[in-house]
Amino acid sequence: MKDNNPISPHIQVYNWHISSLVSISHRITGVLNFVLLILVCFWVISLIFGSESYQYFKIFSNSIVGKFFIIGFIWSYIFQILSEIRHWFWDLGYGFELKTTKITGVLVILGSFTLTIVLYLFNGVLV
Amino acid sequence: MVQISLPKNSKLQKGKYYKDKTGSKNLRKVNVYRWDPSTGENPRIDTYEVDMDNCPTKVLDVLNKIKNEIDPSIAYRRSCAHGVCGSCAMNMDGKNGLACTKPHSEIKGDINIYPLPHLKVLKDLIGDLSTLYKQYESVEPWLKNSNNSGKTENLQSKEDRAKLDGLYECIMCACCSTACPSYWWNGDKYLGPAVLLQAYRWIIDSRDEDRKERLKKVADELKLYRCHTIMNCTNACPKGLNPAKAIASIKKMLATS
Repeated sequence: MKDNNPISPHIQVYNWHISSLVSISHRITGVLNFVLLILVCFWVISLIFGSESYQYFKIFSNSIVGKFFIIGFIWSYIFQILSEIRHWFWDLGYGFELKTTKITGVLVILGSFTLTIVLYLFNGVLV
Repeated sequence: MVQISLPKNSKLQKGKYYKDKTGSKNLRKVNVYRWDPSTGENPRIDTYEVDMDNCPTKVLDVLNKIKNEIDPSIAYRRSCAHGVCGSCAMNMDGKNGLACTKPHSEIKGDINIYPLPHLKVLKDLIGDLSTLYKQYESVEPWLKNSNNSGKTENLQSKEDRAKLDGLYECIMCACCSTACPSYWWNGDKYLGPAVLLQAYRWIIDSRDEDRKERLKKVADELKLYRCHTIMNCTNACPKGLNPAKAIASIKKMLATS
């Protein structure tokens, strides 16, 4: 009888808010960063094999797909770092008030995009 | 385990539509989750048109009105109607809360009412909380004190008493636990915010002599550390408590002891 009982709706009906959004993004970027490390490996390998092989990497990094990957990579890492800083404060026992979590959540999101733009434009990455 | 979609027998169907019979001009649509264990059918969403001119302010009043005047078959738990007993905890407008303290004026558009999320439904808006109660029992929520003869008072300083503020007010309505995605996916092993807040309430009590044992018991990859500070619990608590902070306090005690 009991096994026939339905499960009430959960993620289908529950509202998202800043903190849950940052939390799931933290997870996703964590996995993403791990996978994207392969890209860094290619970068390093192309350096090891000299300037000619580096040219191939440069062609890739200057293409639209390459740029998408690199910008995404930078964002993903920055997001992870900022969100992790938020977690450090939590681990120390600070910043649990609802208002504070909202503000820090917005800061993580806005900060990740701002820093990505700053880094890409002004650091001369892979140019 | 993580299961995003609902199992086959839990998929929602379109339900009945109860048209207004009062002729009121101030109508509101109320969508309510319905499941009748006697029919063997899937759960459905019934829609009621409710005359808001003659309805008091809270969501529970809306439900009472539906039960009294439109459809007596609807089932939900309620008792005190003043935010003290925790019976009428449910999911309203995508967020858990107590129907008796949630004003319907805060909800924009149709009023959507579901049972507390990710529970076995017993009937309509009534979810099965027996797992949560078992977990509550597992943290042994009572004072353990060898000097407690029952003849003298168990004294506590004002400062120590203040440590229980924000914890003792918990009414175990389960709004927090059933708002927590970690509890959705691992509710059989992870204790969840409500029970962990209660565990912390006894850990931090100066009169309790079992602190070390209590901490040891809760220090478990699944029981405690499935909390990833998603903050849904604190967001949902109708009493304005902070289960996430209580859980972090336990983690901190374990890390520093």
